[in-house]
Amino acid sequence: MTQSQYKCLELLGRDGSHNKTGSFCSRFWDGLLCWDETPAGNFASQNCPDYPSFDPLEKVTKYCDESGNWVHSSSINKTWSHCLTFSKEKIKTLPVHGFLETETELDPTAESQVSPVVTQKVEERKKIINGQYKCFEKMNRDQPYNKSGPYCNRTWDGWLCWDDTPAGTYTSQNCPNYFPDFDSTEKVTKYCDETGNWFRHPETNRTWSNYTLCIAHTKDKLKMAYILYYMAIVGHALSIVSLLISLAIFFYFRSLSCQRITLHKNLFCSYVLNSAFTIVNLITVVNNPKVVQRNPIGCKVLHFFHMYMLGCNYFWMLCEGIYLHTLIVVAVFAEEQHLHWYYLLGWGFPLVPASIHAVARKKYFDDNCWMSVDTHLLYVVHGPIMAALLVNLFFLLNIVRVLVTKLRDTHRAESNMYMKAVRATLILVPLLGIQFVIFPWRPENRLAGEIYDYIMHILMNYQGLLVATIFCFFNGEVQGTLKRQWMQYKTQWGQRRREHCSTRSTSYTATSITEVPAFMYHHDCNSEHLNGKQTEDSELVALKTGETYNVQSLCVGKAVSVEILLKALFIFSTALLLGVETQRKQKKIQTWDAFFFFFKCHSKAASVRLLSHPFWACGHK
Amino acid sequence: MLIGPVNLSVLTTACSSHYGNVIEEFCLAKFKLDMEVLDQRQWCSWEDTVESYGELTNCTFLVALKMNCFWPNRMVDEFFIRVHRHYFHDCSMSGRLLHDPPNRILGPFIVVPILVTLLMTALVVWRSKRSEGIV
Repeated sequence: MTQSQYKCLELLGRDGSHNKTGSFCSRFWDGLLCWDETPAGNFASQNCPDYPSFDPLEKVTKYCDESGNWVHSSSINKTWSHCLTFSKEKIKTLPVHGFLETETELDPTAESQVSPVVTQKVEERKKIINGQYKCFEKMNRDQPYNKSGPYCNRTWDGWLCWDDTPAGTYTSQNCPNYFPDFDSTEKVTKYCDETGNWFRHPETNRTWSNYTLCIAHTKDKLKMAYILYYMAIVGHALSIVSLLISLAIFFYFRSLSCQRITLHKNLFCSYVLNSAFTIVNLITVVNNPKVVQRNPIGCKVLHFFHMYMLGCNYFWMLCEGIYLHTLIVVAVFAEEQHLHWYYLLGWGFPLVPASIHAVARKKYFDDNCWMSVDTHLLYVVHGPIMAALLVNLFFLLNIVRVLVTKLRDTHRAESNMYMKAVRATLILVPLLGIQFVIFPWRPENRLAGEIYDYIMHILMNYQGLLVATIFCFFNGEVQGTLKRQWMQYKTQWGQRRREHCSTRSTSYTATSITEVPAFMYHHDCNSEHLNGKQTEDSELVALKTGETYNVQSLCVGKAVSVEILLKALFIFSTALLLGVETQRKQKKIQTWDAFFFFFKCHSKAASVRLLSHPFWACGHK
Repeated sequence: MLIGPVNLSVLTTACSSHYGNVIEEFCLAKFKLDMEVLDQRQWCSWEDTVESYGELTNCTFLVALKMNCFWPNRMVDEFFIRVHRHYFHDCSMSGRLLHDPPNRILGPFIVVPILVTLLMTALVVWRSKRSEGIV
């Protein structure tokens, strides 16, 4: 007990014997000063105590309220802030532990680190205090150093925790993420010298850890992050534009209507919405730290819808896969399936993981705007997505297997055609992101890593455009089909054409449909001979078994195989991309955290562009 | 043990071992009072103790400034180890920032949606098969 406290308690004992009229606050010791009895409703004031860093000429006031209680302020800063005397000059001359010794660079961080009265970034402070708490807990509970030889004692350097280190060695750990310009993929080093003391900086003779690398390259990385951010926005915008165009084509040309087209329309809708939500999210939340700080409920709702749209995306792909699988493998006539279950799976079911994620996030990891990607709770959404991807992959590989065996069985020139399809696919493979198989991890080397990032993002964002241009807009077949469609449209205005989907004629000039991949397995023994088809140019399958098959034009082989293979590869690459993302989670600076999380959405754009053109013309003429 | 204010004013040029005593007397006193206000079970609750802990840290820093010591230093380390030993020795180590729930909670949260997804997929496949068979 200090002398002051003892004196105060003595006085308090003597006070008790007095009688006073009216209510008053009794004497009390607040830890630093003794406050006399004060009548209710009055301020009490006295000089600051003469303690280190206190200016005894300043005054401290405390209020005694009407009911006779002292009004306690919870923070030392509020009561004692007048007393604190240090000046800004003093701050600058004291280099903060472990940082650069050039004060000019230090200023922003120095002040926020050094002065508790100057406004601090609350979040940074919280993280640092948290780190300090964990450090001292760890220091308390760790085993004492049991190796022989001199060593440096475990210590807290103000930002990071350092273990007992043998003498004469460097030790390092990752930079903390307290400040936005700290790159947490870089390393902090500390040297324990031969005598068993931590390295002291020669200028100031204080123990010093080397944090210089944490901010050395930050400006460049930030610039690059911004470039990638704008590329992401452009990529998604282009994606939306091309998707809306193809949707317009689908809706406008009623002759294209078909069950698969309906599924495509839904898929594209989900893509458009997903891209839209991504752009909104990127612009309003990710790039806007003020909003994140304010943490309105709206940004969490936005995040919820974004997760829902992400789920919709992948589940509609799954619906397409299931539809194709049912159509091709499960022995099919072009009889209409009931699409209700597909709608349920595509639009309804993604609500489930999204809601569970929202609930879990609110309860267990309620950070600002739910932006953090450092939590495993994200797998509540990504787990089902990956499950859907794997199931889809299985379905599509099954379809490919069936197609291949069927094609082989027919012993036709399909094999040649098939080779063409495979060749076409191989051209598309690198564009679709299978490169992630080859380079699954970002190179450690900084320059190589940057190049990797740029290439990846360009491929992800613009490959769809490139594919659409090469295989659609510059394709003679496509242009011819468009012209034909236009002619047909003009001549057959108002006539609803469903033949391509129905089970009737086999004329292929009438309707060049892209969609029906219906590979008819007739249940009688003629099934082998179906799909006579292909010359190199024509993709129409003429069924030559002497029976009129129930399908008008079967587009098998090139169109379907390529599309299906594309889908399989695309899905595979997206799955890998998700895997890459989890790998990358470990290696990010703060500003990357949210950016990359959205970049992975772009891998979808590629396939979308490809699927969006219905011009894998069957029945090219 | 009390270091009088008079003595302190002499020690303006160098950091001395008195630093340890000063933070013990000055900073710890306020912290003690703050913690005594709380119920002992609340000592492990971060929301209740974060401000006092932060103030304690601030206080040690201000004293260091005044006494021309750099912060943190060996005495700060020892001081805080003692504080932790007294107040936080039976608290969980996991720190106070947001962290994932334990695996026994996280596991079901992840596994159940995956299983429901697979179930739902199987259901849709089965239903579409059935509608096909009804041709």
